[in-house]
Amino acid sequence: MTAVAVLTERMVRDTLRDDLPFAILAPAGNFVIFNFALRNVIDTGGIGYPQYLLPVIIVQVTLLGALTTVDRAAREHGSEFGVRLRTLPIGIVAPLAARMMYCLIRGAIALLATIAIGYAFGFRIFGGPMYFAAFTVFVLTLTLALSLGADATGVKISSAAIGRRGGSSQILLVPQMLLVMLSTGMAPAESFPDWLHGFVRYQPISQLTETLRGLTSGEVGIGNLVTSLAWCVGLLVVLGAVALRMQRRTP
Amino acid sequence: MTTTTPRHSSWINESLVFARLQFTHWRRDPMVPIQSVLFPTFLLICYYLLVGKSVMKITGTDSLYGLVPTCAIAGAFSGALAGALPITFDRDIGLLSRLWALPVHRYSALTGRLIAEAGRTVLSTAIITVVGIGLGLRFHGNIIAFILYLLVPVMVVVVFATAIIGIAVRVRRGTVLIWIGIPAITAVFASSGSPPVESLPSWMWPLLRFQPMEPIVGSMRELALGGLPLWELVLGLLWSIGLSAVVGPMAVRGYRAAAESGGIRG
Repeated sequence: MTAVAVLTERMVRDTLRDDLPFAILAPAGNFVIFNFALRNVIDTGGIGYPQYLLPVIIVQVTLLGALTTVDRAAREHGSEFGVRLRTLPIGIVAPLAARMMYCLIRGAIALLATIAIGYAFGFRIFGGPMYFAAFTVFVLTLTLALSLGADATGVKISSAAIGRRGGSSQILLVPQMLLVMLSTGMAPAESFPDWLHGFVRYQPISQLTETLRGLTSGEVGIGNLVTSLAWCVGLLVVLGAVALRMQRRTP
Repeated sequence: MTTTTPRHSSWINESLVFARLQFTHWRRDPMVPIQSVLFPTFLLICYYLLVGKSVMKITGTDSLYGLVPTCAIAGAFSGALAGALPITFDRDIGLLSRLWALPVHRYSALTGRLIAEAGRTVLSTAIITVVGIGLGLRFHGNIIAFILYLLVPVMVVVVFATAIIGIAVRVRRGTVLIWIGIPAITAVFASSGSPPVESLPSWMWPLLRFQPMEPIVGSMRELALGGLPLWELVLGLLWSIGLSAVVGPMAVRGYRAAAESGGIRG
């Protein structure tokens, strides 16, 4: 067994029991709450609100999952166990790789949970299996990219007091909320005040949710697809590079 | 040698010292201010920008008057949760037991905590209301209405914080508290009037009308609009008294048991 596999197994056994309820209930709860609160309020222009809402719930859950990654990385990197790992004859990125494997497993579970709850409320996948595969790849790429960024943040702050206490993710809740709630994932741009239209239309989460929604219905605009792809790959490359650099830091 | 018998009023002074201790904690570790002020403020802004126009189109009324109290109370709840998280830790390291052994009134640490919660709620409600005014809210009531408006959330939050403390001193790990916060904050949101009740399934209506948060948010909305919602205030008061009769003894007993345990690592 390789070091990454061992560390991933440890991570899954150690964390999943605490984390699993959150990974499943967060999407379910958010979906149900927003669906009930907004389905007769927001005019989506024809498509049912569950169908409209589901992509943004997945993106939000990915963001929230990444926030827990910040705390986990900060705790692990700063702990005695983290220091010990850095003295072992294993790759310096092995702990990072294990954390990322865990994030992908968690992301896949959250995705399944979201789709399951969506189905109960009338969400349907109309595109073929290829579209669904693309949908999954998109979500998991985003999960990986954001988790890398979150991990880098966690490692960076692991020596500060806020990192040890685990309160760092609290501050990041605010930008997360701004991006998710002020996006076309929640409501069409026309529902927002006029001065906000530019931001709402072109911010990354609006673009991404539009692509994901297109993939569930089986028709997606090329321009939008390219934009989302550029965001995902760009984030993956940039945040991946930052996360790798962070691992070299010695305290 | 003479001994001075502690006067009964010392309880209040000691509680105030413990309340100040809480405020110092919150200044140094900003998790509670983030949860009780920053987070609800942005929630208010985002949610209003998201639904304001649509609700206006459907109902013809401004949802802001429901949203400001909603966010104020939701923020106070999440602040109370964040504030109670360290209690489990304090119990385990034996801090509660040490406070218990101090020559002060034994429950002054507990009452000090509740006083701090009340003070924090007044502050955060005021700040969120000011942000609401920035978004277009106009407070139509007089000064007495405004004082009542600030006191209504205090009443709820003190009861809520008592319940949370009662749970925090019993549970093994603090994360359980987060799960309690979710239904509470959902209940607050359900009563904001921002999803118009008629837009929800009819089987939910009685649940929405008679849940404890409904008269609270409703009375704050009325006060802001310039009315005097006596019936709702009385209903809210009855809910609070009823609930505190349940959670009060629970918290006191749990706190005593936790303080007498001596901690597990201490």
